[in-house]
Amino acid sequence: MRQVYNTRELEIPADVECDIKSKVVTVKGPRGTLTRDLSHLQVDLFKTEIDGKPHVKVEVWHGTSKRLAGTRTVVSHINNMILGVTRGFRYTMRLVYAHFPINVTIEDAGKTIEIRNFLGEKRVRIVKMLDGVTIAKDKGTKDQLVLEGNDIENVSRSSAQIHACCLVRAKDIRKFLDGVYVNGKGHIYNPEE
Amino acid sequence: MPFTRLVEVGRVAMVNYGKDYGKLVVIVDIIDQARALCDAPDMTRKPMYFKRLAITEFVIDISKSPNKKTLIAALNSSKAFEKFAESAWGKKLAAKKAKAASTDFSRFKAMIAKKAKSAKIKAALK
Repeated sequence: MRQVYNTRELEIPADVECDIKSKVVTVKGPRGTLTRDLSHLQVDLFKTEIDGKPHVKVEVWHGTSKRLAGTRTVVSHINNMILGVTRGFRYTMRLVYAHFPINVTIEDAGKTIEIRNFLGEKRVRIVKMLDGVTIAKDKGTKDQLVLEGNDIENVSRSSAQIHACCLVRAKDIRKFLDGVYVNGKGHIYNPEE
Repeated sequence: MPFTRLVEVGRVAMVNYGKDYGKLVVIVDIIDQARALCDAPDMTRKPMYFKRLAITEFVIDISKSPNKKTLIAALNSSKAFEKFAESAWGKKLAAKKAKAASTDFSRFKAMIAKKAKSAKIKAALK
């Protein structure tokens, strides 16, 4: 059965500018600009004013379940863009090892990471960060990496790529727990609350 | 941009298909996801499929399923059918009708008038 009408609204905060044209969303904020093409989702996406405040509104008329799911997807994507340009995203990763210390060097001013001595292997693993993402060794904590950026997709995918390049082969992974694991997902700027 | 012409009680629609092709009707009730109860001054109230209706920008102020007297009074006070005839859509329909009903003599007169007009324009431009 099709649902006659489904709608969601998202308030745009005061310090953020949001532009929508043909489902291409551009969000501008204090930390920069993010653009995302959401035209693969079959929804009605536009800006309105509700109670005098600018909102983004998503509408689906006579929607089937996949189209209805798209309303919340759109809102989540735009919300993440707004968070990215106001608070940024910071993912922390721990280097976990039992015997062979994982050796990490950051090259290219935070754009490339080189991992050596993972499980004693001679192979050097090089991972390039995606657009807008910088990586650094955490100064306070031992064996911790910090990835920072505006686009949550890029930050999380860079973390995933680092995690995926340090996988144990031909061993019982319940016993050999070495690797680089994401242990914290947060923001760069946290308002004092 | 959101949809502005919504199917609702009081919406004026034009029948797009079937026996009543070209008629203006008012939606007086919604039956289910596919059909509406439609009414006009010169027909008995009947259900019609949404797919056979083309909705216009005009809405009249009625409540669900009014009796015929109330409906006609509301139509007369809002003049929705007249306003539709004056809208761009209504004018295009009227022009099409006039063209289809034109005689050879009227087309001849139109041709002469066009020639006279273009001759004047040419003279003015020289």
